[in-house]
Amino acid sequence: MDRKIGVYICECGPNIAEKIDIDKVIKAVSPLDDVSIATRYKLLCSEQGKKFLEEQIKKNGLTHLVVAACSPRDHQHTFMTICENAGINPFLFQLANIREQCAWITENKEEATNKAIRLTKAAIGRVRYHVPLEKKEIESNPDVLVIGGGIAGMEASLHLASPQRKIYLVEKTSQLGGVVTNLEKTFPDMQSCPKIIQDKIDQVTNNDNIKVYTNCEVTEILGFFGNFEGTVTQNNNEDKTTVGFNVGAVVLATGCALFDPTDDPNYGYGKFDNVITALEFEKMNLAGNIRLKNGKTPKSVAIIHCVGRDKKGYCSEICCMYSIKFVRYLQNKIPEIKISNFYTDLCLPEKSYQKFYEQSRGKKNDFIRIDSIKITNPGNKLTITHNDEQGNKKSHGVDMVILSPALEPSVDTKKLAEFTRISQDDEGFFAEEHEKLGPVTTSTEGVYIAGCAQGPKSIQNTLIQAEAVAGKILSSLIPGKKIEPEVKVAHISESFCIGCKTCLTVCSYGVITFDSTKKVCVANEVICRGCGNCVAACPSGAASLKHFTFNQLRQELKEAVL
Amino acid sequence: MNNSSDSSEDKGVVIQVKNTQKETVNDFLKKAMEQGVFDAVLISMKVPAGDSFAYVLLTDKELLKDTFPLPPIMSVQGAKAISSITRRGKGNKKIAAIMRPCEIRATVELTKLGQIDLDNIVLISMDCFGVMPTPSFIKDPEKSLKKFEDAIRIEDDTVMRPVCRICDKSSMVAGDLHIGTRGVQKDAFFIVSNTKKGKDILDKLGLISNKNIDTWLAKVKENAKEKQKKRKQAHKDLQSSIKNLDKFLDTFSHCINCHNCMRACPICCCRVCYFDSDKMKHPSDDYLRIAKSKGSIRFLPDTTIFHIGRMVHMSLSCVSCGSCEDACPMSIPVAQLFSMTADETQGLFDYIAGKSLEEPLPLTTFIKEELSEVEDVHD
Repeated sequence: MDRKIGVYICECGPNIAEKIDIDKVIKAVSPLDDVSIATRYKLLCSEQGKKFLEEQIKKNGLTHLVVAACSPRDHQHTFMTICENAGINPFLFQLANIREQCAWITENKEEATNKAIRLTKAAIGRVRYHVPLEKKEIESNPDVLVIGGGIAGMEASLHLASPQRKIYLVEKTSQLGGVVTNLEKTFPDMQSCPKIIQDKIDQVTNNDNIKVYTNCEVTEILGFFGNFEGTVTQNNNEDKTTVGFNVGAVVLATGCALFDPTDDPNYGYGKFDNVITALEFEKMNLAGNIRLKNGKTPKSVAIIHCVGRDKKGYCSEICCMYSIKFVRYLQNKIPEIKISNFYTDLCLPEKSYQKFYEQSRGKKNDFIRIDSIKITNPGNKLTITHNDEQGNKKSHGVDMVILSPALEPSVDTKKLAEFTRISQDDEGFFAEEHEKLGPVTTSTEGVYIAGCAQGPKSIQNTLIQAEAVAGKILSSLIPGKKIEPEVKVAHISESFCIGCKTCLTVCSYGVITFDSTKKVCVANEVICRGCGNCVAACPSGAASLKHFTFNQLRQELKEAVL
Repeated sequence: MNNSSDSSEDKGVVIQVKNTQKETVNDFLKKAMEQGVFDAVLISMKVPAGDSFAYVLLTDKELLKDTFPLPPIMSVQGAKAISSITRRGKGNKKIAAIMRPCEIRATVELTKLGQIDLDNIVLISMDCFGVMPTPSFIKDPEKSLKKFEDAIRIEDDTVMRPVCRICDKSSMVAGDLHIGTRGVQKDAFFIVSNTKKGKDILDKLGLISNKNIDTWLAKVKENAKEKQKKRKQAHKDLQSSIKNLDKFLDTFSHCINCHNCMRACPICCCRVCYFDSDKMKHPSDDYLRIAKSKGSIRFLPDTTIFHIGRMVHMSLSCVSCGSCEDACPMSIPVAQLFSMTADETQGLFDYIAGKSLEEPLPLTTFIKEELSEVEDVHD
């Protein structure tokens, strides 16, 4: 094959020019096979630079392009577009990073120059074996399946719904609103909650572009970004009716459940009267009926924070704040009441939480730090025994105990994670793609998480996530626009594959299936994200990644190392 | 019924030896076949010419008298035989496979690699004293066999292969049943069950695991300890012989590229070895380019990279069975080198190849804290 490789070295202003002897690099790579031109330019990413490159490709009849410049994260795309404009396949290009990985980090100019020579040679060695790859386009459906009709799911639905985009909102219970419908007020602004939530519910139900399915569960999700098939089953009647629909994206907004305090006998929950959970207290308060079992009004209450935190291993973020909100409820409704808060650590982030806590402290309201606690009921009087910070054992008698339990993943998390082929984190919540860099996306493209389904969260943070999810979907799943699947995807050679299924276990995207007739594994190129896990784990060399073939890597390495 | 609460691990069945140990093992298998516990037996037998041994799948129980459960050489690794039988799925008949511990371990690895279906297979291992190098055995098979039998009698491993001499897993590791011959009286041996499948078979045969096996356990432990020490030392010596790239390349420099080591290896189960495929055939310009850069290039190409590539692909499952070294016509110490590498790579993942069917292959699991030993540490 007659190759004509053009090698262009970018000075990047003084960035590369001052640190690397570019002429020496040119001299070293010019005599290499297939290199028809090697030269330097001041700033290849500038408008003039781009024009220069395009003209050079055409004028010299280049078949392959190597640019030695910055990180591919900066300008790989720029130079690939130039290739396209100049009429060569953009994958017949390779970028050698001689700025971040060389000029900026190697002090000695001679060493930096030698390294730049190796990196440029490696790029030339590799580009020789590049093959043209074609971008594909597939139709996509802009509609969205939102699972969970709580605050997160409703918020995302409202942002997403439009005449061009139908939303299917699936709620397991008989009504929308989720856990928030039990609250009288929200912290820290102490605004009335039922009104806020009713407004949202009305907006959702009155929106023509949102189809709400209550008493329904998702029973299957197949497909990939732009083309998912969801099946929903009605669960209130005997003959289970199922509905199926095609959507482009899936939002998991299934909220969370509460840690069951009966798991820890120290709390006496389920054993003694008047030991209740935070949610039971919210309901009692919303009904305007804070009463003991015997109908009397409590004179003293203990609120126990951090219930189950030891077992769960994480802080549930909102328990301190709603516990303090309970203090406000109680002070407001039973002014004479004595309240004791028992906590192991206080979690008061955000700009207004600390103030909320400070303003809630008072004579009849203690905050007591403990390291262990036990609730007993001698002579029908609830008694709290705890160790204080000095390790002294103390006891308190109270009328009522409110437990603030940890938040845990809702029961359907595992099932839905399997349907959508995403993973769960160590705590069992849906795992986001990246804790910092991808907080609402997941390992499956087109599947997003909002709210407590991803981890314990306040209402405001839940709304932020719901909005972020909407933003992600609105910007990537545009009605009428086709989507481009990844081009650099895995391929499993039928003749090499030994059917050991190792690749199946390491693929995070559900790309690979086992063909039991042929006894080989098969990769679905449309959903492959090109991570290369299967290639690394394949013991027989059957799996390969386009644009990162063994030969391409080998040739690159050979030049870089030898 | 055995109602004792002792686990089967510390109790076993004692079988009295009539005439020879070999005959008694064969009698046990015959009885099991008669009672329909197994329909067939995969076992070693002398080849008709009398100068070597091969695995046979035997359905006529009368032929058991001619079998040879622990032959003096490993002409075929037993795991490869089982894989041949079940690669396309299990059969309907029950097959008992009588093999050495390293062959059972390779079987476990191949099962995890999807190359064996163990559903209708019963794995029976025996205490192993090693095998002789095939090339030296076949020079005079008759004399060699006598030498082998004498060596076992006096527990002298010097005639065995180098990897056998440093084998620390020569007793029960995996498998369903194990025949223990170490640390027992000359006229008896133990049968120990290692799995539920194994226990069920003993139950069916009316054999009760109620005999104390402490003498066997103690002897096995003592032997393993001694071999571990020898293994460490041997690997240390070997390491110094390949300690830099030049020495390493020298070790493989007389390789004739026959790929016999790969063909004999039970773990190398690829349908086509990548190195034999067209993917490793390059345009002549490529060779000329390499020749130009280095002055010359050796042919056949890719000789050393083949060994390194093979090491990368199979060292996590290598059971140090020594088949590769037996197969090498140039006497390259491949098995010794591979077993050394395998100890290191498996050690990184706290993995022992072939120890358990339940333990997943290291490359299929992800543990965050793994591999800190080989990570770069930046302060």
